[in-house]
Amino acid sequence: MNRLARDAGLLLLTAAIAVSTTLAWRQWTRPAIVSAEKQLQTRQRLAVLPAGSYDNQPLDNPLPTPAAQRPASRVLAAYRATLTGKPSAIILVTQAQGYAGPIVLSVAIATDGRLIASQVVEQQESPGLGARLGDPQVHWLDQFANRHLGDHWALERDHGDFDQLAGATVTSRAVITALQEALGYFDEQRGGLLEGAVDE
Amino acid sequence: MNRFYLLAASLVSLLGATRTLREGVAIGLCAVLTASLHQLLLTPLRKRLARWAYVLASLLLLAALLTCLQLGLRAWLLPLAITLGPYPLLLCLQCLAVDHLLPEQGRWRLLATHLGAVFACCLLLGACRQWLANITDVHLANLAPGALLLLGLLVALYNRLRPGPAHPRRQGKL
Repeated sequence: MNRLARDAGLLLLTAAIAVSTTLAWRQWTRPAIVSAEKQLQTRQRLAVLPAGSYDNQPLDNPLPTPAAQRPASRVLAAYRATLTGKPSAIILVTQAQGYAGPIVLSVAIATDGRLIASQVVEQQESPGLGARLGDPQVHWLDQFANRHLGDHWALERDHGDFDQLAGATVTSRAVITALQEALGYFDEQRGGLLEGAVDE
Repeated sequence: MNRFYLLAASLVSLLGATRTLREGVAIGLCAVLTASLHQLLLTPLRKRLARWAYVLASLLLLAALLTCLQLGLRAWLLPLAITLGPYPLLLCLQCLAVDHLLPEQGRWRLLATHLGAVFACCLLLGACRQWLANITDVHLANLAPGALLLLGLLVALYNRLRPGPAHPRRQGKL
């Protein structure tokens, strides 16, 4: 009985130390985690803009996104990049349904409606197939640069202009549709996105 | 006998998180850090606790250690933490197996050998996979099954090149 009580006491002590250390550590690392996440998000979303093409902090002033729900995707956020006070590009963050889960893309669109670049922010596609979407070695997203809404936004097998990602038809179609819908959204909301609220 | 089980216990993280040399170094360091800290924390408890309480204490300490490790990775190396995925947390399997398999005698020496071997394997796999994927464009090297094949090849190569008479185990006979 004595032995059992001693074991239980020692175990409780261990548990108390383990839990309190973990909680203290969590409290201590929280500010660093929050700022690291914010930094990463900023970097991912702004990676679509060429360096030097803007001089403001686009993410500090999100634009209103009316009618954000598109048929196959959803515009989560919109930001305006300006250079010497004039709008140089609009960044749309859009979410589409991929093969295994949502795909979140950051899309930069020039003021003339040309797609500047796009980048994956979040995805859960199959490793080695759909997940190669944002792989810098595959350059798959690069083929959409400088395209307009007027192009044939479909895979070659669907009589469109674009190569598909090998072994990932569903992912490829989802991304192409999302990019097309982002360009469509820009076209539709152009006035509000480019002029709208004047920067202070 | 124990040595082989020990290496097998580290297989999950070894195969899952060694896509590049950088990842290999990171997961290797995490493995060395967690396994040695876990053993260090358990040393004062081993003699004092009954078996059931010892197992519970070991689990509690392990959970605390790995939570702290994951939080630390997210705070200071967030991009790396995202590419490593759940594998730093799966190091708990390795720590539990190590604690179970290490003998009473010569515990620390064997642990040091084992962790050295795991770290070397992580570095070697990371370097080979990065090289295969980038230079020779072997896409399979990026995936976990490719890592298993590669590890098999490396073990075979090691057995072939290792000097001295081959142990029956290394000749593929029982």
